[in-house]
Amino acid sequence: MIGQIVKKQALLLLRNPIQILLLVGLPIILIAILSTALGGMMMSGESPNIHVKLAFVEHGDEEAEIQRFLGELEDEGMPREAIEEMETGIEQMAPVSILKESVLGSEEVREFVELHEVEASELTEIWDDNSYTAVVEVPENFTYESLEYLVLNKNSQPVLEVSQNDDHQIGPMIINDILIQFQEQLTLGAFLEKNGIEQDVIQLDEGMFSGETLTLDQKNPIGSQEYYAVGMTVMNVLFIASTIGTIAFMEKKIHVFDRIILGNVSRWEYFIGVLLSGTLFSFIHLLIVYGFSWIVYGVRWPDLISFFTVTASLAIAVGGIAVLLTAISYRFNSEMITNFFAGIIVTLMAVLGGSFFPIGDSSAFIRALGNLTPNGAGMSSYLMILRGDGIAEISHHILFLILFAIASIVIAAISFPKRGASV
Amino acid sequence: MLELVDLSKKFKQNDAVKNLNMFIEKGEIIGLLGPNGAGKSTAISMLSSLIEPTKGDVRFRNKSMIKHPAPLRNVIGVVPQEIALYEDLTAEENMQFFGKIYRLRGIQLKKKIDEVLEQIGLTDRRKDIVKTFSGGMKRRLNIGVAMLHDPEIIIMDEPTVGIDPQSRNYILETVKRLNKEKQMTVLYTSHYMEEVEFLCDRIYIMDKGNLIASGTKDEIKRILSAEKTISIQADRWNDEFIEELKQNPTVNRVTVGEKEITIIIPREVNMFAAIIKMAENADVELNSVDVQTPTLEDVFLHLTGRALRD
Repeated sequence: MIGQIVKKQALLLLRNPIQILLLVGLPIILIAILSTALGGMMMSGESPNIHVKLAFVEHGDEEAEIQRFLGELEDEGMPREAIEEMETGIEQMAPVSILKESVLGSEEVREFVELHEVEASELTEIWDDNSYTAVVEVPENFTYESLEYLVLNKNSQPVLEVSQNDDHQIGPMIINDILIQFQEQLTLGAFLEKNGIEQDVIQLDEGMFSGETLTLDQKNPIGSQEYYAVGMTVMNVLFIASTIGTIAFMEKKIHVFDRIILGNVSRWEYFIGVLLSGTLFSFIHLLIVYGFSWIVYGVRWPDLISFFTVTASLAIAVGGIAVLLTAISYRFNSEMITNFFAGIIVTLMAVLGGSFFPIGDSSAFIRALGNLTPNGAGMSSYLMILRGDGIAEISHHILFLILFAIASIVIAAISFPKRGASV
Repeated sequence: MLELVDLSKKFKQNDAVKNLNMFIEKGEIIGLLGPNGAGKSTAISMLSSLIEPTKGDVRFRNKSMIKHPAPLRNVIGVVPQEIALYEDLTAEENMQFFGKIYRLRGIQLKKKIDEVLEQIGLTDRRKDIVKTFSGGMKRRLNIGVAMLHDPEIIIMDEPTVGIDPQSRNYILETVKRLNKEKQMTVLYTSHYMEEVEFLCDRIYIMDKGNLIASGTKDEIKRILSAEKTISIQADRWNDEFIEELKQNPTVNRVTVGEKEITIIIPREVNMFAAIIKMAENADVELNSVDVQTPTLEDVFLHLTGRALRD
């Protein structure tokens, strides 16, 4: 019988596309709007999702130029031992290789820069291809002249030729910044080496090109999209409770509840049906919105067991609210409490729980208060999972959610009418 | 079969039903008549175990149903005054849900749905969403849902409120047919006198929470056997004529309509000539003067001093 009640509730929800759109579509839209609009206000942000396609053209032959440079050193009358020592470490001074392998080819930069080494003969074709963000050309003798400048302090520092695609906005700036950093590091390294400080310093710090930001406690940072994916989802799932409450009160108002009771269905079966509907639909709602966030916004959960545990606990808490709203509206024969919950209480809980901005950062008291709301506790748990915490660290939030659900169910059971809803 | 014994319900200071005594025998159609607010719906809710009476008992086959109503619930079908259906579901989905509530399953449920849809004339609309139905169709489905589990007793609380005459006739005929073909016992509440007159074997009349009369149609009409009703028709009245009728010591009651005046007088009195004379004196041009057989409406008027639909 309980299954029939849940099935019927599902059917009623499915027949109401506007309600479904509000429950599922609204959080998705809000995640997009808020993460874009308020992303800059977040304490820790992440790089925007940028993809740079870079063409790399070498007009010269770095190996030949290195050999030519070593030959010049001999002509300059440099001692044989010094030349041999330089020959050993020359790989660490080859600017084009460093740029290609240590900088543009580094794991961190590869996440957003797609490097294509192309022949000079293909350049015309590449300039016509609008998918390229920039073309970096290494002129002939670049390595030779760089080494002359760095080691012998001859000539001026050679430059790379960079052609940028003006149709791309942020990508060319990123390439420009990388190359400037590279050039500065190269110069700094040479300066330090000449002054006998440390030759290895010429190796570029790969970390400086990393797009990743770490939190102070060295855990994974939370980006705005992750933050609002969680914030909007835990807020919106509360509307499942009011939706179930509204359907249940409608059943009382039009005497369908009486009909169910007259079918010798115990009020507890109906009660559990409402509770299960609220829990199940909340669970599905959370999975749909998080699933969408995963596909579209790349919000990934490092620990799925913790994620499902929190999701199930939050869903039970929402089920508890659904049955509590139902019982109170039955008791007072008024839909006011459900409307008040959907209109006022959800907003208050969302603000306290930190759905709109990290309100808890400003005050420990508010943070504690926020964690005493089901959405707040759920949100804290989800954010902790995203930061890399495990189930042990979030267990107190899970316990709170379960206790909240039990308290709601007990109060609802006490308030639920003893017979039919008539008169 | 089913008995209400001194049944009372008090809401705060308001006595909704006072010491109601009723009995229903198998195969009967019982009418529960009364104006809005008479206490009919409260009485039905107590009878069907939806609300607990303040006092009294509901007895089914000589057993009290107040504390343990399950045996009664198994054999009654209640058609509430409201359309107690899911408007966003189809007729068939509603029937499937309520059928399963009554523990019907599989082929048995399917057969029953087909049968009931046929009985209420909605077979062609079974796949349609209820909110697209007319008021009459919703009322018929409302009745159909209560018939799914083949109840022995069907309780109908004003099942024809707010529908067109055609649907109303359909429902009345359906009730009559169910009673005749399936020997279904029916408790029918209404404030439409003619429906109760058409359908019911015995009638209970309630007003302001009290049972004011009960019996067969003839027994109740015999309440007026000492009196008769005269209907006087004219295009217009004047105060002098009305006042003269009211002052006449043989006239028990005068009810003035736009073109009709109804008077109740003792059966043995012949007032025909007197009425003509009064009209001449008051300069009222009469169209007709008829002596009427008493109706239940007249009985109600007689008992309460007001019309049923006041």
